[in-house]
Parts: sequence; structure tokens; C-alpha cells
Amino acid sequence: MPISKEYLVKRLILLILVVTGVLLITFIITRIVPARPELLWAGPHATIEQIQKAREQLHLDKPIHIQFILYLQDFFLGNWGVSWRTRSPVLVDVLSSLTATLELIVIAFTIAFIIGVPFGVLAAIKKYTWIDDVARIVTVVGASIPVFWLALIVQLIFGTWLGILPSAKRVDEWVVIVTGFKQITGFYLIDSILQGNYMVFVDSLRHIILPAIVLASYPFCLSARMTRAVMMEVSTEPHIRSLIAWGLPHRTILFKYSLRNTLVPVIASIGLSFGYTIIGAFMVELVFVWPGIGLYAAMSLLSFDYPAVIGCVLIVAIFYCIINTLVDVIHSAIDPRVRL
Amino acid sequence: MKRFREQRVVFSLIVKKPISLFSLLIVVSFIVIGVSAPLIAPYPEDAWGLTYNVEKRFLPPSIEHPFGTDALGRDVFSRVILGSSFSLIIAIGVIGLALIIGVPVGVVAGYYGGRVGTILMRVTDMFLAFPPLLLAIVLAATLGRGLLNLIVALAISWWPWYSRLVYVQTNTVKNMPYIDSAKITGLPSLKIMTKHVIPNALTPTFVQAALDMGSAILEAAGLSFIGVGVKPPTPEWGLLVSEGWQSINYAWWIAFFPGLAILVTVVGFNLLADALRESADPRIRRTILMRLGVKQ
Repeated sequence: MPISKEYLVKRLILLILVVTGVLLITFIITRIVPARPELLWAGPHATIEQIQKAREQLHLDKPIHIQFILYLQDFFLGNWGVSWRTRSPVLVDVLSSLTATLELIVIAFTIAFIIGVPFGVLAAIKKYTWIDDVARIVTVVGASIPVFWLALIVQLIFGTWLGILPSAKRVDEWVVIVTGFKQITGFYLIDSILQGNYMVFVDSLRHIILPAIVLASYPFCLSARMTRAVMMEVSTEPHIRSLIAWGLPHRTILFKYSLRNTLVPVIASIGLSFGYTIIGAFMVELVFVWPGIGLYAAMSLLSFDYPAVIGCVLIVAIFYCIINTLVDVIHSAIDPRVRL
Repeated sequence: MKRFREQRVVFSLIVKKPISLFSLLIVVSFIVIGVSAPLIAPYPEDAWGLTYNVEKRFLPPSIEHPFGTDALGRDVFSRVILGSSFSLIIAIGVIGLALIIGVPVGVVAGYYGGRVGTILMRVTDMFLAFPPLLLAIVLAATLGRGLLNLIVALAISWWPWYSRLVYVQTNTVKNMPYIDSAKITGLPSLKIMTKHVIPNALTPTFVQAALDMGSAILEAAGLSFIGVGVKPPTPEWGLLVSEGWQSINYAWWIAFFPGLAILVTVVGFNLLADALRESADPRIRRTILMRLGVKQ
């Protein structure tokens, strides 16, 4: 279904405004709130020269409005500072770790969707029975579980005690060396298929299972609850009632008409839970030593590597804004009511 | 006909359903334990993290130490019990501060509308453009570790939700006929706002806020886990899990029980929230009441 150019332009302008807002708030928090931002920037063991250098890099000697303009300029030119933990530019670090996180999140969302939707459908069909109650408890518990704790427990049980699945890193080093695996896109599952590298594919699949399941806990609950709620709403709508009156079999109505109308808002809500999931990824990646942006951010936080932390925050926030806009645009392309 | 009493129906809805009653029990006992924790913790010095018992390191759960002991020989049970106090303080602090910032913004924006309202709500939207918790992470990283900083950081990322909610409610309430009649009688607008708009617009927000305490506890624990929350040796649940992580392969109980405490508490709040939300929907309420055999 086509969407008007006008709407797209409107969303694009809105996106630019929102990103500017995000940059403004980050500027205020990182440059104006702390008494001496250069101390944070230079790190805990900095020399006086390093602090002086940080002062110059942050343009702290200039008036505040000029500082903000220079800040925006630095942001768009990619001068995001240098991480003193890894000693490389923050932007390079951040971009190179992004694909690992995306791969994890995509698998987690897939798991959440594949399990969550049937779960929600079941709860909606058996509404107000014990099945519905059980489904509700499962989803509430899943949404309340501290994801870092779940990660630890799952790692302990399946990785250490049972030893059936690897519980750290993306792939075994020796498999990479033996098979001569090379990165192309950075998504190991795709790269290994492209190279026909069966061993790396199986190995990275085995590595991704545990962290992806843990990360899927929140979007799973969300999609199950959303499916149940929308399903119950849809089934009271006039067109479904007329189908019942028409005498269509119950099952046909359910799977062909109700479910189809349910899926769009459910997918949209999973898309919008991206922000929550990526923060969950910070903790899951830390526990599973998954070399993505979450691990990078968590390690930077633990070692007080301020430029790196800010870099992660900026990239995640901007990514979040872009994903939200994309979800909205796609959603409105499928369902014109959203455009209103 | 018996008079329809809103509170009583909601209360009976909660008490009559086993799940809801269970969640109410969790929440009440969390608050009771949180308030009285310094008195009921069996090993108070261990709870505050001031002691070091070499001979009692890594003891598995027993009658003497129901949750075992940690790497410094401290009683994990006492630390978890005292942790509920910290979680309670954090939850009340975060929600309270978020309400103090969010409610005035929402009321003013909703009541005056126009340019003031637009500007205030755009600022709110700017804060909402961050993924949840991310703003708190930057703030906590900037301010440094500590209980107060953690509360401030979470509240700053939290208030926009309340100003949104209050804004919508105020907009609804201000178009009600009784506000018009108050205006016609010549009441000053500040008085209309404080006496008539705010009380009616705030009830849903306060209910929401009370139930958000579960999420506040969860997110504070997450921040402590990744090292931007409270400082050790504070017995905060997230930090306790993080401390137990190092020795999880041979002493699982140190990380397990604090996490379980978080889970149970947050489940309590979220199930209660769920029950209240359902009882607020008249269609669902009727069905449940019929099934429970409660007369309206």
C-alpha cells in the first residue's frame, strides 16, 4: 500500500528534531551537569596534560552556545573521542560492535514472536479459564524477571552444570581458525551460510541460543500479552461477528480473520520494545561475554571510560529513534488508521 | 438497590481472586519487611556489610544461614532482608521525585494548553526519545555511584511518563461541565486547578505510580548490576547479585537469593497492577464478578 510523500517528509523532519533533542539532552547531561567535564572525559588516571587536552577537545573555554554547535559538528564529523580503555576512536569501536548485538536481538525477537503469539492466542481462546490464568502468571513473571539474574541462572544450569551449550562468546576460536572463516557482514550466521561454512554456522547457532532465549523473555511476554489483548478486542468487532453469523467455521474465523488483524499491532509493539531489549542486551552481553555494544558499554561503565559510555548512549538512542520511526512508517503503510 | 461502591468492588475483586490476593500479600509483606528490616535481620552487622568472618566463607544454605554465606562469610539472608529496605527507599524515592517533577509539568501543560503546553510537552517528548534506562545510565555515569545519585538518575528518566499521563487526564477533566460551572462562578484559575482539576486528574496517576514501584526496583537493580548504582557494601539486591556472580560456579546461593527477592517483589507489584487494570474495565469486571458470584 502506498504512503504519501508528505507523510514520509513529515516523519523525517520529526526524526531530525527528535535526534537534535536527544543530542541537546546528552549535551546538557555530559557537559553542563558535571562541574568539570574534562575530568570525567580524561578518565580516572589522567595526567594534567591529558586533562588540558580533554578541555580543548570539548571546547570548554568557549561560550556555551558555541560549545553546543561545536558539539553537534563533532558529532556529525564522527569525532566522538577516544576510549582510553581500548585506545581506539569510540565511533569505530561502537560501530564494529553493533552487528553482534543486532544479530542477538533479531534472533531474540524471532524466538519471542514464534512462541509469544501462539501463547497469546491460546490465552485469548480460553479466556477467563485456568489456562488464561497460567498464561497470565507466566507472562507477568517473565516481564518481572531481572534479566541479568536470569542470564546468570541459565548460564549456570545449561552452560556449567549440564554443559550442553556454550555460555560465552559468539563462536569458538578454534572452529574459526580450522575452517578459515572470514567476516563479511559481521552477522556470523549469515556469513557462515554465504561461505558454506557449516561448522561455524552450527557453532555460532549453539552460542547464540542461551543469550537469545534470555533476551527474548521480555519481548516474549509483551507479544503474548499484546496478542491476547488485541485478539479479544478484534473478536468483538462487527466484521468478525458478521462472519460468525455467516456461519463460517470457528477455526477459519480465528486463523484467517482474527489472527491476521492481530498480527500487525503485535509486530509493531515488538518493534517498539527494541529500546527496552537493547538495554537488556547490556546485561545479557556482559554475562555471556557477547562482544556487542552492550558488553562494550558495560565494560566501559565498569572501568569509568566516559567517552566510550557516551558514544554507546548516543548510538543506541539514535538507533532507537530511527527504529521507532521505521516501525511507525511501516505500520502506517499496512494500517492507514495509524497515520491519523 | 444497593449503592454501587467503587472501592469496595475493586477490593472484593482483588481479595476474591487467589492470584490477586497472593500479589497483595507479597506487596504488603515487602513493605512490612522493608520497614522493619534492620530489626528483624538475624545478623545485623553482616547485613550492613561491616563484618568479615574467614571461617564462615561460602557456607551452603542451612538452618543457621537459610540463604548461605558469601565470600566474606556474611549471612546472605540478613543482607537480602536489609536489601528490601534499600529497594523500598529507592522505589519510593524514584517514584516520589518523578511525581514531583512530572505532575506540575503535566497539569500546567494540560490546563493552560496553547504555547506553554506545547513547549512543555515537547520537552517531555525529548526525554521520552531515549530508550528507557539509557538516560538513567548516562546520568548515573556522570553523577557517580551512590544511593541518592541512583534515585535522581532514575527519576529524571521516569518523570516524562507521569507528565504525559497527567497531561492527558487534565485535558479530559478540564472539559468537564463542572469545571465550566466553576469558571462561571468566578473561581480564580489557580483555585480551580488545585481544588478541582488536580484531585480528579491525579487519582489514576497515583495508582499507576504506586504500581510502578516494581519496575523502579527492577531497573535500579539493573543499574547496580552494571556498576552504576549504589556503592558496595550496600546490600542492594542488584549489587548483591553482581557480587555473587564471581563465585556462582561453586556458591550459587549468593547470587540466586537476592535475584529471587527481586523477582518475587516485582511479580507482586505487576500482578497487582494487572488485577487493578482489569477491575477498572467495566466489561471485564462484570464477567469476573459474575463468575465469582459477587452481587453488584
